[in-house]
Amino acid sequence: MPGLAPLLLGDGRLPVGAYTYSAGLEPSVAAGLTRDRIPALLRARLRTAAVTEAAATVLALRAAGRNPVDYGPVQRALAARTPAAPLRDASAALGRGVHRLARRLAPEHPAVTALSTIRPRPLRPVALGALGAVMNVSEEDLAHAVVYDELQTVTSAALKLLPGDPLDTVAWILAAEPDATAAVQEALAVRTPAELPARTPLLTEQWALQHARQERRLFHA
Amino acid sequence: MPDQQQTHPHHPQTPGTPRALRLGVAGPVGTGKSSILATLCRELAGELAMAVVTNDIYTDEDARFLRSAGVLPTERIKAVETGACPHTAIRDDVSANLDAVEDLEEAYGPLDLVLVESGGDNLTATFSPALADAQLFCIDVAGGGDVARKGGPGITGADLLIVNKTDLAPYVDVDVAAMVTDARSARNGLPVLALSKNDPGAIAELADWVRSVLARHRDGTHIPTDPGPMAPHSHSHGHSHSHDS
Ligand SMILES: Nc1nc2c(ncn2[C@@H]2O[C@H](COP(=O)(O)OP(=O)(O)OP(=O)(O)O)[C@@H](O)[C@H]2O)c(=O)[nH]1
Ligand SMILES: [Mg+2]
Repeated sequence: MPGLAPLLLGDGRLPVGAYTYSAGLEPSVAAGLTRDRIPALLRARLRTAAVTEAAATVLALRAAGRNPVDYGPVQRALAARTPAAPLRDASAALGRGVHRLARRLAPEHPAVTALSTIRPRPLRPVALGALGAVMNVSEEDLAHAVVYDELQTVTSAALKLLPGDPLDTVAWILAAEPDATAAVQEALAVRTPAELPARTPLLTEQWALQHARQERRLFHA
Repeated sequence: MPDQQQTHPHHPQTPGTPRALRLGVAGPVGTGKSSILATLCRELAGELAMAVVTNDIYTDEDARFLRSAGVLPTERIKAVETGACPHTAIRDDVSANLDAVEDLEEAYGPLDLVLVESGGDNLTATFSPALADAQLFCIDVAGGGDVARKGGPGITGADLLIVNKTDLAPYVDVDVAAMVTDARSARNGLPVLALSKNDPGAIAELADWVRSVLARHRDGTHIPTDPGPMAPHSHSHGHSHSHDS
């Protein structure tokens, strides 16, 4: 039976700095994305970046359960599959908020102390794996939280960037359910860091690189 | 309890030295927050190791203003994106600002003073003690002589209330002395300073106030207080919570 931890992980109000991130929406809008294309963007993210993100998180959760905890392989595999530096930086910035929360909850937990050895900083999925271990959530719940967070991040940022009726965003998220479930299943099926799929689309990377040079931004990526 | 330790201001990287004092500057749009930061840098950067974090609706307007003012090496001025939520960034979720403060301390530390300017918001936006050890709240005479009387958490509870741009008072028909009196009566003894960027005497008082907070921060007697997001309630049934018994 699901407890509170999976709900907390999927809550946009979790104080880990995620509201400064648009999951690629702001760069897409700068490149011409319009409001009617947001549902398509959500589906695209669920088939691409969200799979990599969720799979890496699950791998990190598994690593967090081993003795000794070694996040090196998953951190390296994910960094190698995130070639655009601004996206790695964004992931590290988000991971930092998650790391701070994990430290606050369980500073001595081996899954948390192992985060501090990662240079330069744990990417968000790695930190989330540690937080998942601290909160004792299942692989499936954690993968679901990551995938849901992706949807929630894009749609909340849309309220600032392509404003419209906030009720629409709920309908969009529910309509994306089949793709979200598929993304979770695909993420759970990844067995080793070497198998981690490299899914970030090229356009997403290109737009992220352009966004990093923009001066008037609301979101850092 | 573990949280006591984590939020304690004296949680230094180097044992024995407290980390920098984190001073927040909040207040409505255009009341003069960036100008106060510039003034403080000008007055204090010679004697203190300082850095600045700005929050803006759009990334870096304030940071650019401060960099161009030439009051601090440009790399010590960092702008933070707040996802159009300047209020959240200083209260509900301070992660982005904490990251920026910690980065500056790591790169240029040990620092004495880090100033954090909030994105201009409304009268209810104040800093959480999770981010700021102490805070200024800035209103200006141009916003009208009534503002101080309207109250709000920043006006009633910030460590220092600034009534800014006093030089403009004659042009907007505001009586500065009356505004300061209103502010004092709303603040239960907390200090109020009438300031103008052209008033050297008031600027010296402001700098002295910051020095005194820093001294208390260092000797461990400064206790960060949270003005909260709401003005304290007044009870119509005729007694007050805090002073019973
Ligand atoms: N006359 C007068 N003008 C001032 C004073 N302080 C600031 N100003 C002017 O007020 C305007 C706004 O000042 P800022 O320092 O940018 O105000 P702010 O609160 O940082 O503004 P936001 O960051 O946009 O909320 C500028 O045109 C300043 O030159 C003052 O003491 N006297
Ligand atoms: Mg400003």
